[in-house]
Amino acid sequence: MLETLRLLAEGFASALTGPHLAWAFAGVTLGTAVGVLPGIGPALTVALLLPVTFSLDPVSAFIMFGGIYYGAMYGGSTTSILINSPGETASIVTAIDGHVMARKGRASAALTTAAVGSFVAGTVATLALTFFAPMLASVALSFGPAEYFALTMVAFTTVAVLLGASLARGLFSLFLGLALGLVGIDQLTGTARFSFGIPQLLDGIDVMILVIGLFAVGETLHQAWRRGQDEGDVVALHDFTGMSRDDWRRSWRPWLRGTAIGFPLGVLPCGGSVIPTVVSYMVERRLSARPEEFGHGAIEGVAGPEAANNAAAAGVLVPLLTLGLPSSATAAVLLTAFQQYGLQPGPLLFSTRPDLVWTLIASLYIGNVMLLVLNLPLAPLWARVMLVPRRLLFASILVLASVGAYSLNRSLLDVALLYAVGMIGWGMRVLDIPLVPAVLGLILGPLAEQQFRRAVAISEGDYSVFVTRPISAVLLASAAAVLIAPLVFRRMRGAATP
Amino acid sequence: MRGARLLLGGVLALASASASAQPAHQHLRLIAPAAPGGGWDQTARAMQAVLQAAGLVGTSSVENIPGAAGTIGLARFVSAERGNGDVLMLSGLIMLGAVVTHQSPVTLREVTPIARLLGEWEVVVVPSASPYQSLADLTDAFRTRPESISWGGGSAGGTDQILAGLFADAVGVAPNRVNYIAFSGGGESLSAILGGQVSVGVNGLAELAPHIEAGTVRALAISSGERLPNLDVPTFREQGVDVEIENWRSVVAPPGVSATERERLEQTTAAMVRSPQWHEALARYRWNDRYLAGAAFARFSAAEEARVEGILARLGTGSSAGAASVAAVGRYPLFVLFGLAASALWSAGAMVRWRARAGETPVPAAGVADRWRAVILIAVAAGIDVLLLDRAGFIIASTALFWVTARAFDASHPIRDVVFALAISTASYVVFVRWLDLALPAGVLAGWL
Repeated sequence: MLETLRLLAEGFASALTGPHLAWAFAGVTLGTAVGVLPGIGPALTVALLLPVTFSLDPVSAFIMFGGIYYGAMYGGSTTSILINSPGETASIVTAIDGHVMARKGRASAALTTAAVGSFVAGTVATLALTFFAPMLASVALSFGPAEYFALTMVAFTTVAVLLGASLARGLFSLFLGLALGLVGIDQLTGTARFSFGIPQLLDGIDVMILVIGLFAVGETLHQAWRRGQDEGDVVALHDFTGMSRDDWRRSWRPWLRGTAIGFPLGVLPCGGSVIPTVVSYMVERRLSARPEEFGHGAIEGVAGPEAANNAAAAGVLVPLLTLGLPSSATAAVLLTAFQQYGLQPGPLLFSTRPDLVWTLIASLYIGNVMLLVLNLPLAPLWARVMLVPRRLLFASILVLASVGAYSLNRSLLDVALLYAVGMIGWGMRVLDIPLVPAVLGLILGPLAEQQFRRAVAISEGDYSVFVTRPISAVLLASAAAVLIAPLVFRRMRGAATP
Repeated sequence: MRGARLLLGGVLALASASASAQPAHQHLRLIAPAAPGGGWDQTARAMQAVLQAAGLVGTSSVENIPGAAGTIGLARFVSAERGNGDVLMLSGLIMLGAVVTHQSPVTLREVTPIARLLGEWEVVVVPSASPYQSLADLTDAFRTRPESISWGGGSAGGTDQILAGLFADAVGVAPNRVNYIAFSGGGESLSAILGGQVSVGVNGLAELAPHIEAGTVRALAISSGERLPNLDVPTFREQGVDVEIENWRSVVAPPGVSATERERLEQTTAAMVRSPQWHEALARYRWNDRYLAGAAFARFSAAEEARVEGILARLGTGSSAGAASVAAVGRYPLFVLFGLAASALWSAGAMVRWRARAGETPVPAAGVADRWRAVILIAVAAGIDVLLLDRAGFIIASTALFWVTARAFDASHPIRDVVFALAISTASYVVFVRWLDLALPAGVLAGWL
């Protein structure tokens, strides 16, 4: 422990100099700026900005990575809150309550709770990374296909709180996502399914297309459709004051809980950054004294998921640094970046290059502070985006959405698919079908199927692996409990007050 | 990232500034037909760094076109880059396998081969707690009951699975009885190996070496012909198993490039592999220098293609990843499609009943036409965008998209909106293409930009 502190102090000593702080600030700014663009997720942001660091010395470069990485993870929440157009999966959940807050004139408060929550989560999670990384990594290794399958089942239960007004429509949305997830090459055998002979469909339907299509394009169509119908709730905002005392009181617990949920789920990669955010949203709603406010601008619904998202970003670094395992696309890019400097993450890294590792970890703390410094003053400025005339705002969103879709694979088909999905998203809004279950279905469906089949293939066809392996059994039991408990409670309450 | 590089150029003394000779390519694009982080992406980014640092090109950029083990990038490369002399795509053994596995309509015979660059050995490892101490132990267990050994490795039809198939063939087990568990990437399969989730792991040397050195896995055999000087792992051959395979990567140019352009690309590549920076990169990633150019490379590629086709046909990818998993394949899609149909009927039924009870929501009659007009306008804007994007280029298509969409919301400032539309489209183009190196179609304005 003391040794860790000493090494960390040395890391800070090399990171905390004038020019290094300037690089940290540049990294955070670039990362946030590129991360805000819809369709450019954290992995691509880091990859695009990688060449900038080629000409730097290793220490400056790592400090800049830290900034770019956290900046890119944070950037997505801004468009989510302001214009209901999450640019990547991690900020979908933020849009649910964040955008309602913005429409009620509380954009500044929503952006502030997101920024402070990201800072709190990033810092606490980086602390956990500093002190417990090797221990956590060995836990992650005990997860095999059976355990990951059980984990996807837990993630599926979160759909229960996202269903919206009607169970039937919520399930329809979920199955729509699952069905879209069937398209493409079956990972385990290499055979194509439901691709109708179109080569671009071989790799399946990109989650980004579904997210940008359903949310950004769908929202544009829906706003055009509702024109003149609801002048009442159109942005009655001119309040740029940020968070009230009550907002702070309601936010701090969700920040901490979001961190506690996000960090372990980042260590255990399962469906990327969306899962920690939905789990956090579910927990906040279940624990809230006012669950009816969720979906109508509850600040907890922004604070929790945003914290979870950033904590998961730190969690991803655990298997990367200690085992050399890239568990997400972003981590894989970071791995490439490390290798550019002759740094091979893995079991020997902490003993062979302690100087660089601890500088990197120190720079993560610094990146977090910079992110807060950058974004707190920006929150009220961003909030003014709500004052841009809507014809210009939504026309710009469509242009950016088309760039995002095109740059995924440089394929016109993706752009056409984007608009088609946008039409579906509009129809779903008109019919009051919730959107988030469809995204979860697309992400979780293929994962659950693959892990299930892997587990069964490893056990040579023995289906009992899911209950005989202890971690898997516990996870499956808790998934069942999450679904059944509310029904039981309701019945008990019903019996008590006849 | 050219823009940001220029920006930084003022702050930093760039290493490349010292190169005085005029480079053969002002701007060389490298296409990695895979997502960021994979082997091709890694190679492309290493090339980018070397080419720039050695001053062999003015600037260089990497573009990712992921999907289907490189075949989507290949199809796109052949159709969109035809005749372009300033672009190279990464390719290699895995793409040969993928063309066969995914029955790709476009094959590697259509591109212009430039050179093979490097090779990577494959290693077979077991978790340190595994009962198998040597390849002989593993071979015995595998011969007795092939399906009881689960082989964890990369995507179906890739080098890892090919190696498992070659091994089975060499020890007298039918290759289609290999219980191969495909994982979607090196990281995922590595964690299954380290955690002992699979009996045996197959992966590239670069990814496994740190774990072999740290003793977290035990290496049973390496796929090289002779034992490596700096790594104490026996080859398959010295243990009596006739298997040798190297995962090689190469660069190719588009079809239809002129002889001069081809020569220029070959010279740039040759200069790159001679540079000290390239040798540093090879050592760093534990790649073997396998530079082979011209007709010799074309002959090698053809021979490898025949070998891969042969083994994949016997592995039967696409139909046999272990009997158990095949049994479960059919039911899941049926379950999903049934669920979709059932929930659609249920919601439709619920909605009809609800409408019947509540009656139609009153909408002002004048509003209805307006609403439909707005939605149809946006649909038209989207249609125009898709039609014009490749033909007229991004700026024109987006200007039209912007202007028509703005009409759907408020039609009172047509002239002013044209200005906004042009400004936003041009600004997006500049930011994405000049600064972020994301290619957008230039179209008819190509000469101006």
